[in-house]
Amino acid sequence: MSEIGRLSILLAFLCSCFAVASIAWGLRTGMAGPLKSGRRAVWVVCGLTLLAIIVLERALIARDFTFRYVAEHTSLDLPPMYAFSSLWAGQEGSLLLWLFVLSAYGAAFLWSYRKRVDPFYDAVAMVVAGVMVFFTSLLTFVSPPFRILATPPADGNGLNPLLQDPGMMIHPPILYTGYVGFIIPFAFGIAVLLMNRTGTRWIEEVRRWTLFCWMFLGFGVLLGARWAYIELGWGGYWGWDPVENASLMPWLVGTAFLHSVMVEQRRGMMKTWNVALIVLTFELSIFGTFLTRSGVLTSVHSFTESNIGPWFMGFILISSTIAAALILYRKALLESENRLDAVVSREGSFLFNNVLFLALAFATFLGTTFPVISEAVTGAKISVSAPFFNRVNVPIALALLLLTGAGPVLSWRRVTASVLRRNFLIPLFVGVLAALGGLPIGLKGIYPIVCVFGAAFVVATIVMEFARGIQARKDVAEGRGAMAVVSLVEKNKRRYGGYIVHFGMVMIFVGVLGSSVFQKESHGPLQPGESLALGPYSLKLRGVEDKPVANAQHTRAILDVTRDGKYLGPAYPAKAMYFKSQQPMTEVAIRVTPAEDLYMILGGVNDDGSASIQAYLNPLVSLIWVGGIVMVFGTLIALADRMRLKREEKLGA
Amino acid sequence: MGSRLRLILISLVVIGSVTYLILSGVKQTGLHYMTVTELARAARPPEEGGFRLDGRVAIGTVQYDQKLPHLMFQMTDGKEMIGVVYHGLMPDAFGEGREVVVEGTFDHAARTLTASKLVTKCPSKYEAEGLGKDKT
Repeated sequence: MSEIGRLSILLAFLCSCFAVASIAWGLRTGMAGPLKSGRRAVWVVCGLTLLAIIVLERALIARDFTFRYVAEHTSLDLPPMYAFSSLWAGQEGSLLLWLFVLSAYGAAFLWSYRKRVDPFYDAVAMVVAGVMVFFTSLLTFVSPPFRILATPPADGNGLNPLLQDPGMMIHPPILYTGYVGFIIPFAFGIAVLLMNRTGTRWIEEVRRWTLFCWMFLGFGVLLGARWAYIELGWGGYWGWDPVENASLMPWLVGTAFLHSVMVEQRRGMMKTWNVALIVLTFELSIFGTFLTRSGVLTSVHSFTESNIGPWFMGFILISSTIAAALILYRKALLESENRLDAVVSREGSFLFNNVLFLALAFATFLGTTFPVISEAVTGAKISVSAPFFNRVNVPIALALLLLTGAGPVLSWRRVTASVLRRNFLIPLFVGVLAALGGLPIGLKGIYPIVCVFGAAFVVATIVMEFARGIQARKDVAEGRGAMAVVSLVEKNKRRYGGYIVHFGMVMIFVGVLGSSVFQKESHGPLQPGESLALGPYSLKLRGVEDKPVANAQHTRAILDVTRDGKYLGPAYPAKAMYFKSQQPMTEVAIRVTPAEDLYMILGGVNDDGSASIQAYLNPLVSLIWVGGIVMVFGTLIALADRMRLKREEKLGA
Repeated sequence: MGSRLRLILISLVVIGSVTYLILSGVKQTGLHYMTVTELARAARPPEEGGFRLDGRVAIGTVQYDQKLPHLMFQMTDGKEMIGVVYHGLMPDAFGEGREVVVEGTFDHAARTLTASKLVTKCPSKYEAEGLGKDKT
């Protein structure tokens, strides 16, 4: 079986090499034959990758321990669903998943443009195939997933208990759908430069692909945060860990691109900038994969020890050099058609949006790689952690929040004083009112106050925009109340979808504010019958019991939870001891309400029969997750907008 | 003032403040990454809270009182050893031979570090040991 896997990867490597060469030849000579066979070769790569995934999954589920990868990451007592998801538990499998998602995007691309006879799309396919060459060669020569053991063990090493969680089943595939998806916008950008493509049709196409993977990436990041919250058991969801930063950086730059691309569509400006942004987003996706998968992060001392590190660095270096050279070579193509008329305008706000997003990404990048950079520059290894990121990124993020409110209601080109008054007076008033309202309930410090002001300000501008839109359409008189909102959104999906995304983002800001500034904590050893007080809650220990599950032994505390004297029910924070790894795992108990989460941890059971309990009160955490769903919903609405694409088609661009 | 000039000025202000944030952030929150050997052989103790120590938990040295809680162990990088005291719950992934990172204050004379923060490296690479050679 393993030979089939190995062979299909090798053939995929050869096919992708052929695809690149064949399409390049076809583009050069203008012959249709090589273009066609090149595109077919990309299809073949997709099929072969699928075959390889099936072979490895079959081995994982069957626990075929002759496969080294299976022996390393599964065991006989592992539930089948986690055997399935252990495909992405290690480096080789993750890279195979990367290639698989890449193939899926390649296939989706080829299928969407199958009827189009235009060498431009062949050039896009060539870039995709080029990236396929890289990943198939990694899987063939450096990190092969189909290694066979000379003496297969009776049982495997088992899956890391931290990864035995439903969140870890869906988080990596969703994240990868985001990461890898940026290949298509990247390939479009490169193809535009290669083929000297003019017109704006490709921009609208790229915007749609970007929105799609941007949505998955953002959702994947949030799922990761949620996994950390539920599974890691330290009461928080975001620690500015390099793995988290790795996924955040491409999202930040991708967000910048999604905004500035509107300036290009509308005003024919910022063309070079946009191509550079899309290249950067893709490179950061690759860099993120490298960071999370190379083992670089398990120790800062091993930056150079990983076997795939130099390959990734080489790929990033080569691909970005090619992109930069092309941008310089096609300078004329990217000439701006207009100039900025005024700083206070829609264009101006997009510009600052971009500067701030890039500043966030840059600071995050710098902080993540600081030990390496500082060692190279000064010889001393300096590292920064959460305090650094909070200090630098929080003010930038708050400036972005304010801009979220201001930008969309500024008009293009220039803004008159009367527009400013009409659009800003009420939101400013609402913002100040909210901030003042927060003072009596313990809101203090400049950042939290700015955050509350900004959130209310943004929400007010969004509500006003909806109200104004409905008002303007009153003459047409299409429905009332909720129906009016629906028909308004339907008429301009992209715009109102965007507002919904902004609203989701505001929810996340408020959720982060609530759970970081207003978090409460309490801990102590409890004898049965004793209670721990936390805010309005009281946790009374009823007892401790042992409860075996499939592949672990759970020791759980039974806590009777009361709020303001009212009994709410029992909670079961536990410690799991996995048989295979003999590693204890905290299984937190969380009581979720819209207003606050009660987060309970069992530290352990002591010799005298008491249980060490730690509890957090995390206000407004739910807003973060709900905000994420709202963002996805808004993006889907914006994606449903096909009007622009049709219009561009009519213009024949 | 032309809008272009104004734009450049505002951009400079933004970039300047971000640079300031980054530089002051590094200065105030940056920690010196040290190995056990570097710390043990340092001529003078590093300033308080300004460093972060990376190493492994030495086998057979862990003493833990969960109720207090109070955790004591020796940390090593294969060459030198340093004692670590930590007043907190033992993290899940903590164990003998595991890689840990600690921050805190170092008593040079007693060669003991009182940790204010103890982080176990997330075993995201759950590497297999002792599986033997590949079949060729």
